Amino acid sequence: MTAATLALTQQRANRRLAIKLAVVAALMVGFAYGMVPFYNVFCEALGVDRARPELADTHAAAMRVEFDSNVSAGLPARLTALEPVVAGRAGGLIKAKFRLENLSDAPLGIRAVPSYAPERAGRFLQKLECFCFNALTLAPRETREVTVVLLVESDMPQELGAVTLSYTLYPLEENAHQEHPAT
Amino acid sequence: MSTTANPTIDLGPGAHGGADHHDHAHDHDHGHHTLTGWRRWVYATNHKDIGTLYLWFSFSMFITGGLMALGIRAELFTPGLQFWQPEFFNQLTTLHGVIMVFGAIMPAFTGLANWMLPLMLGAPDMAFARMNNWSFWLLPPAAALLIISLFVPGGAAAGGWTLYPPLSLQFGMGMDLAIFAIHLLGISSIMGSINIITTILNMRAPGMTLMKMPMFAWTALITNYLLVAVAPVLAGAVTMLLTDRHFGTHFFKAVGGGDPVLFQHIFWFFGHPEVYIMALPAFGVVSQIIPTFARKPLFGYHSMVYATASIAILSFMVWAHHMFSVGMPATAQLFFMFMTMLIAVPTGVKVFNWIATMWQGSMSFETPMLFAVGFVCLFTVGGFSGLVLSIAPVDTQMHDTYYVVAHFHYVLVAGALFSLFGAVYYWLPKWTGNMYSERAGKFHFWWSMVWFNVTFFPMHFLGLAGMPRRIPDYPLQFTDFNAIATVGAFCFGLGQLFFLYNVIHTIRGGVGKAPANPWDSPTLEWEVPSPAPHHTWETPPDEALVKKGLVAQALE
Repeated sequence: MTAATLALTQQRANRRLAIKLAVVAALMVGFAYGMVPFYNVFCEALGVDRARPELADTHAAAMRVEFDSNVSAGLPARLTALEPVVAGRAGGLIKAKFRLENLSDAPLGIRAVPSYAPERAGRFLQKLECFCFNALTLAPRETREVTVVLLVESDMPQELGAVTLSYTLYPLEENAHQEHPAT
Repeated sequence: MSTTANPTIDLGPGAHGGADHHDHAHDHDHGHHTLTGWRRWVYATNHKDIGTLYLWFSFSMFITGGLMALGIRAELFTPGLQFWQPEFFNQLTTLHGVIMVFGAIMPAFTGLANWMLPLMLGAPDMAFARMNNWSFWLLPPAAALLIISLFVPGGAAAGGWTLYPPLSLQFGMGMDLAIFAIHLLGISSIMGSINIITTILNMRAPGMTLMKMPMFAWTALITNYLLVAVAPVLAGAVTMLLTDRHFGTHFFKAVGGGDPVLFQHIFWFFGHPEVYIMALPAFGVVSQIIPTFARKPLFGYHSMVYATASIAILSFMVWAHHMFSVGMPATAQLFFMFMTMLIAVPTGVKVFNWIATMWQGSMSFETPMLFAVGFVCLFTVGGFSGLVLSIAPVDTQMHDTYYVVAHFHYVLVAGALFSLFGAVYYWLPKWTGNMYSERAGKFHFWWSMVWFNVTFFPMHFLGLAGMPRRIPDYPLQFTDFNAIATVGAFCFGLGQLFFLYNVIHTIRGGVGKAPANPWDSPTLEWEVPSPAPHHTWETPPDEALVKKGLVAQALE
């Protein structure tokens, strides 16, 4: 091969490689855009909280209300907020559902005790209906959906921003008696 | 490629496509090496000329970004607002970051690759000489856009170099100029990296297989693969910002169903490999300098190559460690935390290899070696503070504090920049044909070394004490360390003017003519005369010559 043809072969090989690399670069732009739908799917699949349009409404002050749930130690029950983050609007209603499960083979008497963070937020969220008002008794292995309805006061201060409403399940006193056949 | 056939053209090696397709009225028919004056630079297709352009451009950006840094430090000398309004202060921090990353460090390494790779690999020029010209000449307009943005209504982008929405969706047109600048810089980087990869893969001298290339070529290859993969991702991210700002899309606007956190994911998917784009070539430079001055072959060449490759691969799997505080699930935090810690392993391999290279070598401490050893010491400090930050619960505390600022300046200034200084002193004799003054070089090193630490070490303490980054004013208890850092910064900056003096002094003759191989180094760039002639390796080095160098590097 003469030097000239050698240079030509080289040039052709170079060009082929450059085109391949340029295609990779173009595909990577596509990858950047592909991350957008992927992100949504990923957040949904993992149940990861993401930004929500209803909280970003600039025309009306929105408050982010987060539901947290705990079970006191040793209690065979589970409490899950079905929608852990909701948007509250001054003067509006918030309806949230929880799933309550008895994991034991015996009937279970429980009571949910609410608490707020920050504490002063309690003043602006008025409970119209709550599963925490009453003591509940769950049949063995029972799963039940329970509801909370909150009225957001119309004088809710805008700087409040976010509120966490936490429920902790405690056993009822009677449980102890039920579990001891002696009584 | 060429549209006209010109039989008189000098088909110099690398002048692919033959005739010049810029149709100019004047006549320049004998190839690029006859061009003089401004035409030599504007029409440059020679890899050495383009390398020189890149290096001078990045130095001027280094000075520009450095002046901005001094503006920041001056304001932070004492609490209260002295010189700038907070808005302008934020523009300074943003532009300082963008200019140093995209204008100074990255082009400097591209410039080095341009200058040195064909010489080290025995290639006549870069693979695509004309594209090379274009990749360089996109840089000055990009820099101009960034500078101009300071003077438009609303000023320059001011949300930090990471351009996070929602802030970046709210700024004035300065943000648009920054976005266009990033587009240009991205296109330039992609073209530059295609050129470098092609040169390395297709144009090596006979006998130089991939596993026998100089380490600098290996790190350049891997770095530029990273660039091809992630520069388009950044371009995509800023394009989404642009369309969110002006064309009604809602990628990052929560109102329309988007999520600002999504930007952080896309940005850092680019941003973390970007960290290694700035660090790997520094590793390459140091891996050339240390064996030369330890007079021993590089210890663990193969492990060095594999370590570089594994750092590059891992760099795609750690991006969310920049986002530990956005509220990720604990499982995700743990994944990114452990992957990040894993990077310390190949990096440790490299550090130990450099130390083992020096072990029992007959070392001498000329300026390039001082910078290389300084690099190993200080980069390791930066690596350790990185390891501290990789721990998610610690990072939640340190996020956006001066500890982070200290960390990345240890890896970028003492890491990337020191290696660049080392590279300049190492190859100046080859570039200029003259020896620099060793006394002046050593002074520059020690001056930089001392003031660098005076500037950035106290920032660790500031961060641990809770001082947030990007603030123009601060509570009184942070005063002393800030004052120390400011004094250090001004002295460090002054020292870089001395570097400029050193380089100009060397170009004008230095302390005498340089021999072809002043350091007695076995790589191919030292086989051509000093200064390197305009055209080198027009016929590839013969196999015996290549083999001689490889044997001396213990690669054959």
